[in-house]
Amino acid sequence: MKKNILHETLFYLVVIFISLMVLFPFLWMLSSSFKTQTDIIAWPPKLIFTPTLQNYEKVFGEQDFLKYFINSTVVGGLAVGLSLVLGLPAAYSISRFTQRKLALFILLARLMPGISFLMPWYIIFSRLNLMDTYVALVLSHMLIALPIVVWIMSSYFNSIPVELEESAMVDGATRQYAFWAIILPMSGPGIITSVTLSFIFSWNNFMFSQVLSMEKTRTLPIAVYNFVSYAEVDWGGVMAAAVAIMAPAIILTMIFQKFVVKGLTMGAVKG
Amino acid sequence: MASVDIVNVKKSFDRAEILRGVSVAIEDGEFVVLVGPSGCGKSTLLRMIAGLETITAGEIRIGDQVVNDLAPRDRDVAMVFQNYALYPHMTVADNMAFSLKLRGVARPEIETRVQRAAEILGLTGYLKRRPKQLSGGQRQRVAMGRAIVRDPRVFLFDEPLSNLDAKLRVAMRSEIKELHQRLKTTMIYVTHDQIEAMTMADRIVVMREGSVEQIGGPLELYDTPADLFVAGFIGSPAMNMLKGTLELGGRTGFSAENGVFVPLAPSPALEGLAGRPLVIGIRPEHLRIVGDGEDGFAVGAKIVEPTGSETQVTATAGDAEIIALFRERQTIRQGDTLRLAPVHYHLFDAKSTERCASIGIDHGA
Repeated sequence: MKKNILHETLFYLVVIFISLMVLFPFLWMLSSSFKTQTDIIAWPPKLIFTPTLQNYEKVFGEQDFLKYFINSTVVGGLAVGLSLVLGLPAAYSISRFTQRKLALFILLARLMPGISFLMPWYIIFSRLNLMDTYVALVLSHMLIALPIVVWIMSSYFNSIPVELEESAMVDGATRQYAFWAIILPMSGPGIITSVTLSFIFSWNNFMFSQVLSMEKTRTLPIAVYNFVSYAEVDWGGVMAAAVAIMAPAIILTMIFQKFVVKGLTMGAVKG
Repeated sequence: MASVDIVNVKKSFDRAEILRGVSVAIEDGEFVVLVGPSGCGKSTLLRMIAGLETITAGEIRIGDQVVNDLAPRDRDVAMVFQNYALYPHMTVADNMAFSLKLRGVARPEIETRVQRAAEILGLTGYLKRRPKQLSGGQRQRVAMGRAIVRDPRVFLFDEPLSNLDAKLRVAMRSEIKELHQRLKTTMIYVTHDQIEAMTMADRIVVMREGSVEQIGGPLELYDTPADLFVAGFIGSPAMNMLKGTLELGGRTGFSAENGVFVPLAPSPALEGLAGRPLVIGIRPEHLRIVGDGEDGFAVGAKIVEPTGSETQVTATAGDAEIIALFRERQTIRQGDTLRLAPVHYHLFDAKSTERCASIGIDHGA
């Protein structure tokens, strides 16, 4: 009994310690977003302060925040949507015809630093007059979304018994129809996971829109950057903008975390 | 309804040869069971008939039609899978209607057929449920219902009962057999369970390592197994086998390598078998206890298992284990010494493993 209490205390201490490590930057950001510039740079840090909303007013007032928000949503949405259209059949084929090398190749595209793609893209898109268009941004963000969709979905499809399609095919379906009518309707959790993750990654992406977009198509992370100027860094604005950007991602994760955990561990454990 | 002809069919995956030229002619309306240990290629053969595996060489005909290059959907066969493969997001009724909808059957007709299948299988109350809400036996029934609504030319079953508990398995066994008697459609059934094969089949195809060992009726395989493999595979508990030589002249009997001498009655069928290496095979139920005056061989009872209807005795003869099954009540106790004599027995060539003689087997003719 005594040992159990000790065990549990230790367990929670470790959990609290790890959570603090992970959450500290976030909490720091959150509190800073409600501080004045003076409070933010005060030393020692002020734990008790008078909260202010002026940073948020600045973000939503002075900055063209809504435009960035729409841009991010459109780019993320289209990139994820197109990635599903291409990625779901691809993942299915990789899973059913065990194309491991192909899967590795796709993962490789994801693991390569995004910056290595930027130079050729920049040249290609400017020649095609596609700079500062949704087309260029959506295509670039598909580099983020597509591997996520393919990887999560191929392991998800691995967990669906192949007999289901075989049965449908004996019953009179083509493989394509079996995929459409039998496999896809069962893939909800996997699709939600890959959509959530790839949308968040697209949402958070800074580099691609920094290079490929100008006035018209800038996405949210650029908004944060706008608070950094040559003369000074408006920390309060940066923090408030960051919170505003992170909020949708956090809300999405909280809503779908059950699926995300399930989708990511799919195929890891049988059953 | 249709016959199925499998002609010298071969299957290889890369370099591994799964089927080495299998030929089976299945008549229209026949219930044929493919049986064999796991890895013998029986499921592969069934999947080739369904069109789920390509055919490396040979020919499969359903009716008069060569189906080698036909897609599964064009073969007009129905298949019941081991894990049932029910569509989890559809109700029982939709599961059964799926194939009919694909074929463009009119809605009222679909409803009648689903209703009729549900009645046959006792699923009428479950049509609105999802597979998740059903027990194992009910899921099994839905899988069969999905097959029978189609009225296909051939039914294929891939170990359909192996996920059920023992009691349910016995019940479903009779149900499938009854279904066959009612529908009279050709059925091909794969199992590794020889009891299932024996109880259900019109004819059994025993397979081993990608080849057919023997094809025949259940009792034919039981009474006259072609070789040691079939002899050991069919029948439970398995046939007792001893290696040795036959001794004729003087005292007739089988002299086993482990020193046991099984006295046998002289028979013309034994002529010419003496001297060469043989295996004697005696089924547990073909051993009887003999008195001191009679010919027999001594064994020591090791385990005695009475089941009420019969008594199974595991005994040792030399270093060999002998199992004997007695229908009569016996008062044998562990450690007793018994004298046994075979009523029926088979002799197999030790090298080729083929059967050379069966003595005392009454074919019921």
